[in-house]
Amino acid sequence: MTEGVIYDLGYRPHEGPRLGRTGAVRALYRDGLRRTLGLRRRARAKVAPWGLLTIAILPAVAFIGLAVLTRQMGVNEVEFFSHAQYFDLTGTIALLFIAAAAGELLVPDRTHGVLQVYASRPLTPGDYLLGRAAALLTVVFAFMEIPHLVLFLGRAWVAEEGFGSYVAGNAEILWQTALASLVYFAALAPLAFLFAVFSKRPALAAGSFVGAMLVLSPATQALVVEGGLKPFGLFALQQHPAVVKDWIMGAAGRRLVPQRAGYDPWVSLVVVAVVALAAAYLVVRRYRRPV
Amino acid sequence: MAETIIVTRELGFSYGDIVALRDVTLDIPAGCVGLVGANGAGKTTLLKLLLGILRPAAGAVWAMGHPVPAAALAVRSQVGYMPESACLPPDQTAADFVGYAAELAGLTPRAARQRASDVLGLVGLHEERFRPMGGFSTGMKQRAKLAQAIVHDPDLVLLDEPTAGLDPEGREEMLQLIGRLEGFGINAVVSSHVLTDIERTCQWIVMLDGGGVLRSGPLTEISATDEVSVEVLADPAPLAAALEAAGAAVEVQGRVVIVRAERADLYDLVRDALADTATAVRRLGPRRTTLEDIFLRGPGLEGAGDD
Repeated sequence: MTEGVIYDLGYRPHEGPRLGRTGAVRALYRDGLRRTLGLRRRARAKVAPWGLLTIAILPAVAFIGLAVLTRQMGVNEVEFFSHAQYFDLTGTIALLFIAAAAGELLVPDRTHGVLQVYASRPLTPGDYLLGRAAALLTVVFAFMEIPHLVLFLGRAWVAEEGFGSYVAGNAEILWQTALASLVYFAALAPLAFLFAVFSKRPALAAGSFVGAMLVLSPATQALVVEGGLKPFGLFALQQHPAVVKDWIMGAAGRRLVPQRAGYDPWVSLVVVAVVALAAAYLVVRRYRRPV
Repeated sequence: MAETIIVTRELGFSYGDIVALRDVTLDIPAGCVGLVGANGAGKTTLLKLLLGILRPAAGAVWAMGHPVPAAALAVRSQVGYMPESACLPPDQTAADFVGYAAELAGLTPRAARQRASDVLGLVGLHEERFRPMGGFSTGMKQRAKLAQAIVHDPDLVLLDEPTAGLDPEGREEMLQLIGRLEGFGINAVVSSHVLTDIERTCQWIVMLDGGGVLRSGPLTEISATDEVSVEVLADPAPLAAALEAAGAAVEVQGRVVIVRAERADLYDLVRDALADTATAVRRLGPRRTTLEDIFLRGPGLEGAGDD
């Protein structure tokens, strides 16, 4: 019989490479991805991100299934909803997703004192926020693009002209949806971070952000339409990315609050940029305070 | 003196109108250094200034040869920090968090996982490393905090109240761990208001009081006095009387006679008094004072240290 032997290796100093600040930011980014998706966390943490992603993809999958079924039944004319229309659903779900993820990314680090650990590592507050924002951007972009990619490939699959011809003839949809996804991120994420910075619980951050965004739309609509106070159209923060998205995708005919107030789509783009920069500035300023 | 790891010159810091540190000038050598003082003495503020988390309002500070906060990132890549307050996410396992802490210090993910496993074993959390830290006891949390502070193999680790909240057994184990750090090539600054903990683990002492330096120097030097302690087997009264008659100040504590006199031949005086009174001696030697004695006596004794 072989007897086991225990070797006391003692303390072994680290002699491998040290990646410095770049390595630290990459670590923050990877941790942000895991945290946003609830990976290596309890099952409860996975419910919101994966549930929302499922809800976002489900319509595309259902419609493709329906299209395949009807084609087998000999019906070739199936009306799909457009990518611009689909964006209205995924954009609303993205609002919920960003709200939940922003709170999860920033609030626990602060309330559990983990910022003290970051402060002892070769990182600046800007590096911390950059790592967190990059993680959120990656996940949100994937979150918004995957449903459109599923819809696009599904439509190509059932297209009468054939898969290749459909893809070649409609490839612009891919960059349009990608660009529109970035606009949604810029419009929502910095504001969600701002709410998270001032909240003590992730759920509180998410709830107050979503509440504020949802209240702004009917409130500004009432002020603009009923009250004739057109400048309030600028405060319909949830609707500006939708206006810009319609502009990018060439969708017309809708009357969102900024349009009812008489603003061109470029004004919505400027509002998105200004609000994003202002929110980002306030978040960075808040994190300059010592822990 | 050994290599100097921390240098401060007339360092000052205030929280608004409250002065936390004033005119702190120190030259701290490598090894295990005890930073002692009452709550609010400025210990944590000094540690945060060393990390570059706070900016000095006056004076200058260098850690591991780098000026702080100008080269704070270079300092932090060589330094670990164990905060006094909570810093562990309850929903993460110790292995995940300590590995992440190593990655934040620049280690590759593979090296970070390996180091996390090694260090958690070292601090006695090998069995619990895959448990979420929210369910840890206070002692386990303190060990996990120490693990994240040393996982990247720093040259210097700053430990803020490492024994806070621990029961006697947990305190003993933590002090043993701290005592082993120097053998790993890790210098340590241990901040504590528990003076006996510092006496047991550190060779160099910095005593802070009201934001200023009360004493700074080697423990042996600080704890030494110019008094002689004589423990006798029988009644100490005749010896005490003989010494007083010879002009020495005497204090009797049970069977211990403490002799104080400003003369070079104090031991000769004691020898003669013992011989004259035929007193049997159990122990004779210089009286060593505790950090608590020094601290309680306050600034009156200033001047024995380097600073």
